Amino acid sequence: MWSVVRSRSFSSSPATQQQWKLGFSMRNRSLSSATVNDGDGEGIRGEELLKLEEVETILKDVKADNVKVIPIPKHVDFADFMVVATGRSAWHVRNIAQALIYKVKQKQKGSKRMLLPSVEGQEGGKWIVIDSGKLVIHALDEKVRAYYNLERLWSTDASNQDHGLVQGQDLDKAFLKVRPKNNSKKRPSTSA
Amino acid sequence: MIQPQTHLNVADNSGARELMCIRIIGASNRRYAHIGDVIVAVIKEAVPNMPLERSEVVRAVIVRTCKELKRDNGMIIRYDDNAAVVIDQEGNPKGTRIFGAIARELRELNFTKIVSLAPEVL
Repeated sequence: MWSVVRSRSFSSSPATQQQWKLGFSMRNRSLSSATVNDGDGEGIRGEELLKLEEVETILKDVKADNVKVIPIPKHVDFADFMVVATGRSAWHVRNIAQALIYKVKQKQKGSKRMLLPSVEGQEGGKWIVIDSGKLVIHALDEKVRAYYNLERLWSTDASNQDHGLVQGQDLDKAFLKVRPKNNSKKRPSTSA
Repeated sequence: MIQPQTHLNVADNSGARELMCIRIIGASNRRYAHIGDVIVAVIKEAVPNMPLERSEVVRAVIVRTCKELKRDNGMIIRYDDNAAVVIDQEGNPKGTRIFGAIARELRELNFTKIVSLAPEVL
């Protein structure tokens, strides 16, 4: 099974990968030279596969519960936004993923080559990740969502909580200056 | 370069502490595994009172190797340790948090779940 997944990932994902990397340079080029003739495919390649608003409307349409959009801090260049949504059952989770893929296909209808986001975990229906470059969408089962607790990991103020709470307290103590107690019987004013 | 009998650290909070590779998944006679490969491993050392126990056979994804990883742009990444993340048959990680830096190649190999749990992506 793994070999199948691997071969599929090799065939599909490098194209999408390069597409993100090229995304910015492509856009810049088309801006700088007005003579570039943008076809259907070009237009989409310059844009992203899915936009945040579109994803939100789709998730509303398929009735995904508890949708959260988490902006990823700037210093992590993994993605820009992470969307987390809960499905009520394995079937529902799979349905959410299918709806998003369908939308991508609809957007690129008629173009010569379709670019699809890489989808992970579609057979299981517990946790499906749709990775469309700068936007990563997680569709999870309720239990799985509570188990992994992605919001807590990625929300900005909580990121310190998760990893650095214990260390932070220790650091506070470490930096606190403690004046050594003077236990000597000598008078302090002897030198003066 | 991970081969059978290689000991690896565990880079997550699944409860295992040390793994030993016993098989590389992918081809029939593959000699070495690199970053992003799935291996079958035995838990050699485990944290007490956790679901995973010693001498259990698990699947794991390699996330860090001492052997350098070369990128097309000339960048070379080399870690201090060999480390893996325990996964189940569906590819979901067993632990909920991943420790240490992780290479971007994992995302290209469809391990986005692991990447999205990691604190740092190189």
